[in-house]
Amino acid sequence: MNHLLELVTKPDNIPIVGLLLLVIFYSWLAWTKARKNDSQQLPDEARLDDKVQVWPYLVRVEFLAMLVVLLILVVWSVFINAPLEEPANPALTPNPSKAPWYFLGLQELLVYFDPWIAGVVLPSIIIVGLMIIPYVDINEKGNGYYTFKERKFSILTFCFGFLILWVSLIVLGTFMRGPGWNFFLPWQDWDTHKVVVLNNVDLSEYFGMPSHFPDNSLNIAASAFGFLVIAAFYLSLGGWHYMKYKNSDVVKKLGLGRYALVLGLFLTMMFVVLKILLRLAPPIFGGYPVKYIWVTPWFNV
Amino acid sequence: MISPMEKLRKTEVYKSIFRHKYEDTPRNRALQIVDNVFLHLHPVRVPRHATNIGYTWGMGGITFLLFLVLTLTGVILMFYYRPTAQYAYEDMKYLMHDVPFGPLIRNMHRWGAHAMVITVMLHMFRVFLTGSYKPPRQFNWVVGVVLLLLTFLLSFSGYLLPWDQLSIWAVTVGTNMARATPLLGHEGPFGPQLGMRPDADVRFVLLGGTQVGPPTLLRFYVGHCIFLPLIATIFMVVHFWRIRKDGGISGPDTGKKNF
Amino acid sequence: MADDITSSSQTVPPQRPQALSQESQISATPIPKKPKQDRAPENDPGIWRMGRKSFLSFAGWLSFLGFIGISTVGALRFMFPRVLFEPPSKFKAGLPGDYVIGEVNEKYTEEQRIWIVREREGFYALIAICTHLGCTPRWLTAENKFKCPCHGSGYYKDGVNFEGPTPRPLERAQITVNDDGEIVIDKSIKFRYELGEWGKAGSFLKYVG
Ligand code: HEM
Ligand code: FES
Repeated sequence: MNHLLELVTKPDNIPIVGLLLLVIFYSWLAWTKARKNDSQQLPDEARLDDKVQVWPYLVRVEFLAMLVVLLILVVWSVFINAPLEEPANPALTPNPSKAPWYFLGLQELLVYFDPWIAGVVLPSIIIVGLMIIPYVDINEKGNGYYTFKERKFSILTFCFGFLILWVSLIVLGTFMRGPGWNFFLPWQDWDTHKVVVLNNVDLSEYFGMPSHFPDNSLNIAASAFGFLVIAAFYLSLGGWHYMKYKNSDVVKKLGLGRYALVLGLFLTMMFVVLKILLRLAPPIFGGYPVKYIWVTPWFNV
Repeated sequence: MISPMEKLRKTEVYKSIFRHKYEDTPRNRALQIVDNVFLHLHPVRVPRHATNIGYTWGMGGITFLLFLVLTLTGVILMFYYRPTAQYAYEDMKYLMHDVPFGPLIRNMHRWGAHAMVITVMLHMFRVFLTGSYKPPRQFNWVVGVVLLLLTFLLSFSGYLLPWDQLSIWAVTVGTNMARATPLLGHEGPFGPQLGMRPDADVRFVLLGGTQVGPPTLLRFYVGHCIFLPLIATIFMVVHFWRIRKDGGISGPDTGKKNF
Repeated sequence: MADDITSSSQTVPPQRPQALSQESQISATPIPKKPKQDRAPENDPGIWRMGRKSFLSFAGWLSFLGFIGISTVGALRFMFPRVLFEPPSKFKAGLPGDYVIGEVNEKYTEEQRIWIVREREGFYALIAICTHLGCTPRWLTAENKFKCPCHGSGYYKDGVNFEGPTPRPLERAQITVNDDGEIVIDKSIKFRYELGEWGKAGSFLKYVG
């Protein structure tokens, strides 16, 4: 318990506690507003659409908000010092060693994916994926007011990405990753000597095909198998969805190109989850965690 | 008997500065906005729901406020900070122990930066939840994503500057990912095949060397203090301009024009 | 409307409309009315005056774009200096006799980021940089392994990875003896297991003593 207190009050962790509380509060706020709007004919925002003058009605709110923010910031800065640790020493890595908190979600993914995926490809997909949202979300409803009923899919998908894959992984990385990047529950002390066996195997090995022969040369069959697994994941789920919905209005209006883009991005998000599960689940059933699904001479997935 | 204030208001100097009267009339309220270079970022009138803090959460505005605070405190810190491996850490200690109000300024800069990352994320969350990226605001959302990225980069590049253990290891891990960039990194897929080497790939551009060292500090410093704020400012200008041009703050379509 | 626009591109002065011609009776020299300017005259290429077909315009654009392109390449090249001031990659590591068989020597880890391992048949030098993302792993004698604090990668004593996210074994540096019988390590020459380089000369120093 003391450990938890220590973690939560560590100067560098305070923003994450703040983030967590704010995200919970605002999710709740948005949810209440959406429920209310969904239950009535006109959303609240539409009832309040008469014009008011910016001076004073908006300016005074802004001024108050400014005072509150500055007050919080100054009090925070007066009482809590920004950390300054030992001088830089390239030979001694602190244990654990963490990225700035807002990248901890990505650092967590580094456990499951090679750096080129977790550090380069996935962030790029996130950025590009965010940018194209307005161009692939062709639902005209829900523009300018809180609602859930009218845009279930887009809200659920976004919240899954933001709340689960981004915010909770940040919280997990801050409070539950200790020395050796081992997993600790928030109230467990960080034992530097905790030994966790992380003997991973590649997925093909489950089917009797090691990815490498004893002389360390690549097993082509295992590599082909890995490729097929990934292709099957995308094609079967994607194909199933397409068959089921190809005549729906949404798919028709999106057109094949945009539809494929959305589907591909969505499945990639699911693939990330799948890979995490393949690593975490097997030990529960006494199996080996899966390291790679697909091994090639140039890269591994 | 006219009060001294009245007299003052009649002087040429006063009238040259303040262009209109301040009786609380609708006209003067409008002039407050249009006659003021800062306030005229705003329209004169907005729909009532836009003044409701429950709708916008005020997060975009707070993000901008924090950016201004960071610019100010950052410039003040520059009076004492030297971006070399020899001095950077010492200057931090100096600021924290021997400069009056040094800790306050440094703390405000550090905590303000964290807060800005939080508020920009919440701002994006709110814009998504109110569907405000839908037509005609699609492009402003894209500009926003760039601002999100720039906010992360600003914060990340600043993280290295104290040159302590926290900094260099966070940045070592962060920039080592660039090593694995497909095609452009010397350990990324097809990187070596394309002739990438530790001293000639994307990571080198960031580090100015093959490991995090003094040249890295300088590169990050220039990026953090000049380059990135400049780019971010440009994008913010476009962002604010577009809010107005896209019809002001979003709201449900009730058939009335928003502007 | 269209008429008085077309007239502008011709050399003939435009015809004056009725209203003006009355006025002109007063002034001695009539002022020709300016053509309307809100629209490019027909057949006039407008801003494409230096049109695609014009060679000069083409050459102009080409040099402009060429200039931008070369400047970009130049700016990029600017980021890669010709000389780097990084610590020397070679260092001497004492006499082979100073090492104990079976031990992972950490004497040079702090300064050089190198572990020197003495086995029964000789020496190898492991570079103390995690092949995952470059943290410095720790040698845990009790558990007989290298363990990285950043994301938990683990390596056997010989440098081969067996746990955690790292994609490959630690790298070995070149290890040789000089004429004085001292061990010399060159960190710039690396040997990677997965490329089959651990058998190469220099990756292992044969020494039985
Ligand atoms: C440095 C970062 C940013 C600043 C300073 C900023 C500032 C603002 C401000 C002051 C507003 C007015 C409404 C409000 O306060 O909510 C606004 C609106 C908007 N922002 Fe941002 N923003 C930033 C980043 C972003 C990001 C990351 C996104 C989305 C990815 C975004 C998308 C939008 C959109 C679409 C609007 C119009 C919303 C509406 O009309 O309801 N902005 N921004
Ligand atoms: S850097 Fe060693 S495990 Fe990631």
